[in-house]
Amino acid sequence: MNIIRRLQYLIRNRRMEQDLAEEMDFHRAMVQKDLEASGLAPHDAALAGRRAMGASTQMREASRAVWIWPWLESVAQDVVYAARSLRRQPGFALVAIAVLACSIGLNTSLFTVYNAVALRPWSVPDPGRVVRVYGFVRNPPQGLDNYSGFSVPEYRYLAEHSKSMTGLFFTNGESGLMLEQRKANYVFVSGNFFQVLSVGMERGRGFLPDEDRAGAPEAVAVISYSVWQNRFGGDPNIIGRRVKMQDSPFVVVGVTPPDFAGTAPEVTDLWLPLASTGILYPSDSWTNRLLREANICCVDIGGRLAPGFGREQARAELSVLSREFASQSNEKSDGVELAGTALLMQPGQESRQVYAVFGTMFAGVMLVWLLACANVSNLLLARGAARRREIAVRVSLGAARPRVVRQLLTESLVLAVLAGGLGITLAWILPGPILRGAVGEVSFRLQPDTTVLAFTLGLSLLACLACGLAPALAVTGAARQRRLSLRSALLALQVCVSVILLVGAGLLVRGIQHARTEDPGFAVADTATVSIDLPANAYPIPATRAFFQTLSQSMQEVPGAQPFGWSSMEPLVNGRAFTSFRLPSESAGQAKMVLQSAVSPGFFETLRIPILAGRNFGPADSPGSVVLVNQALVNKYFPDGQGLGKTIVAGTPRQIVGIVRNAHTVDLDAVDPMIYVPLLFDIAPTLLVRNRPDVLAAVKALVGAMEPRARVSSTPLSQNLDRSLMASRIGAAIAGMLGVVALSLATIGIAGVFAYSVEQRNHEIGIRMALGARPSQLIGAVFGSAVRSLAVGLALGMVGAFLASSLLRQYLFGVSRLDAMTYFAVLVTLSLAGLAATYLPARKAAAIDPIETLRQQ
Amino acid sequence: MESKASELLPGTLDLLILKVLMRGTMHGYGIAMRLKSVSEDVLQVGESSLYPALQRLLLKGWAKAEWGASENNRRARFYAITAAGRKQLGVEREEFARVVGAIQKVLETA
Repeated sequence: MNIIRRLQYLIRNRRMEQDLAEEMDFHRAMVQKDLEASGLAPHDAALAGRRAMGASTQMREASRAVWIWPWLESVAQDVVYAARSLRRQPGFALVAIAVLACSIGLNTSLFTVYNAVALRPWSVPDPGRVVRVYGFVRNPPQGLDNYSGFSVPEYRYLAEHSKSMTGLFFTNGESGLMLEQRKANYVFVSGNFFQVLSVGMERGRGFLPDEDRAGAPEAVAVISYSVWQNRFGGDPNIIGRRVKMQDSPFVVVGVTPPDFAGTAPEVTDLWLPLASTGILYPSDSWTNRLLREANICCVDIGGRLAPGFGREQARAELSVLSREFASQSNEKSDGVELAGTALLMQPGQESRQVYAVFGTMFAGVMLVWLLACANVSNLLLARGAARRREIAVRVSLGAARPRVVRQLLTESLVLAVLAGGLGITLAWILPGPILRGAVGEVSFRLQPDTTVLAFTLGLSLLACLACGLAPALAVTGAARQRRLSLRSALLALQVCVSVILLVGAGLLVRGIQHARTEDPGFAVADTATVSIDLPANAYPIPATRAFFQTLSQSMQEVPGAQPFGWSSMEPLVNGRAFTSFRLPSESAGQAKMVLQSAVSPGFFETLRIPILAGRNFGPADSPGSVVLVNQALVNKYFPDGQGLGKTIVAGTPRQIVGIVRNAHTVDLDAVDPMIYVPLLFDIAPTLLVRNRPDVLAAVKALVGAMEPRARVSSTPLSQNLDRSLMASRIGAAIAGMLGVVALSLATIGIAGVFAYSVEQRNHEIGIRMALGARPSQLIGAVFGSAVRSLAVGLALGMVGAFLASSLLRQYLFGVSRLDAMTYFAVLVTLSLAGLAATYLPARKAAAIDPIETLRQQ
Repeated sequence: MESKASELLPGTLDLLILKVLMRGTMHGYGIAMRLKSVSEDVLQVGESSLYPALQRLLLKGWAKAEWGASENNRRARFYAITAAGRKQLGVEREEFARVVGAIQKVLETA
């Protein structure tokens, strides 16, 4: 209670001072009046009154002192004293501050990124009223609730009928194109995009409503401020300038303001009305259909809530509209969900996974923080032991124990606040370059804001308590026994935490190694994927089928082009297609979902996936009646191993004519059951060929001869593999960094503790040496208990690491969580670090001169 | 014969002020006058001890202050006792009686 009133006084200082002054003036006036009444002349009365009052300033001071002085003075005293005592031991102060700053910096850096992607909304005016809208279908075939965008006709229906939103806009994907011969990221948007988001233009205007309808008179674009500055040199006549995109001229109609970072995670260079799709990609039937057909998915919808409407009302209204639209157009809708505009706020599986990644990383950096606190705590404890005499003197001179504890805590507060300041500096510098290196240029702002500052401050204060309280209590307490065990416990905790971090890092590195070197089950190194885009309007399904069948035949005749194969799914791009599947004896309700891929017979040979039993697809097979399955499917659904020749129902009853070896064609996780069906060429498949220039050139020439408007592009399969390992590589890099930090912290901590125990037992060692003890015996005696806590820490750490590694399972690619290699390496590393840490103190102990110590006595 | 507040037993001035405030709200000057007249001019409390004492009561929450108009219509700060102050007054009166009784005993018997 007192402290609150004191703080009030501090905050309202001027008011309170004025009150006091006025009150005393009043008092003086009353005294003067009384004196006058008793017969004194006014002038004398004033004098006498003032005399009676005494030096008024001094008195005001005395009254004020009641509130502030003793308290504030003692706080200031503590801070000064703490600073002085830290300056006396600059080595200790530097190590403690560096250790804490490092851990706080790591935490703050991670939180800065988290804040940027999960908490900060789009950089538009009044972002709290802007929401994103997701369509929602319960239990689609894949079994998980599915959130998605909307078809353009549904968007139009919602935008037209909604009263709860002042405007609905859409965006469609984001992708690269060539702007004046250089790559640029664009986003397709609806014509009202900038208007709904209230983004004013730096120059020019946003889009007109008519400009997002197909057949608009002129192709228009809005470019970002940085593109205007960096690519067009800030051209003052940029508005109306004609620029070339892909091969078509576009007119720049607007430039966004510098603080508008767009709505996508990547940096957006320009915005185009979706209708321009026909101009950019005249042959792309899909986007042309997207503009018109209700069953073509999708655009992402967002909007601004109308005044007086809340999210819940808007959700209810849009859900009703979405269901209305679905029933009119034979689609399925279970309503809509609304989400805020922070990057990670969209509902569904994907952001849950990102949250899991953040959770794992936060667990890692919090462990480092804990380690740093334990470290500093132990240093403080050792230092406290050295200061026992000073503290004893203070207590015997009448200092109350809480007062001494407060003073010791002030020391750790000074440390923590300085470290927090350095930490936030680190967080200012680190995340930008790291993210750029890992995922490229990002649009979100990484400057720490007030949320980040509050986080850092909280963490620093918590660190002050975490590392200061226990030593302060222990040092001022009487019991010697407890102090020793606290130190051992802290040492064990440090070792334990570093084991967990190092094992985590080790497992991730092993996982990547494993994934890179392990046979993915098919030929990655010398295979390329080729995608062939046909001008769509000219190729209805029969023409598409004819085109690819003819191409296949021509390729058979090109020497050296074999082997080649076709697949409906490009390997290692994380795309999945599912089919329902059951045994003939099972009811339709018992059907389960398994992966499906449509392939040509050449697929298996090209990717070197051996057929273990049975045969490949043949020309005589009727496509709907035969399948090949992988080993995983046989193991799971035919436990007796007798799958070959059996009939399964996948849409239609089909016979299993062959069993192929498992291959990681989808991703590098465990191989799931997969059904291969014959490819029908209804839609353009991916071509798989040997990654040789002559083969690729031959394919290009063949396609070019058949259809000059087609676009052919190829990618080495190894590039897909690299991309799919990206996440774990970043993870391993981060974990490795944390592991190194943890190892150094633990080593510093162990060294510090040993050094102090030598310091403390200086006399004892000297006397024992004088009495003839060998240095090795002494070192055993001094370090014995520390070595015990090392062992306990190692053991606990191993158990903790095993439990914690379940978080990493998905990134281990089949490496066991109990990978002996990793645990052994960590054990050796830590033991070596421990030895290194004891070396200097041990030498110091052995170098103690008995004569010198006895003389000191 | 006057007695300065500083010569009183420690804490006694707080007790006396609280007792005076039991009669009702009063400004600082009024409290001083009241103490003076009730003690028949023995206790002349100077401002140098009165105002720190009042600040102390505010800080401890035993009294609260509010601005109002004095008898002759000047702005003055009026103090009132709080519930906590009333409780404290009871405690301190007992304590005071005990101490005074003890002193008395020493003076009579020693």
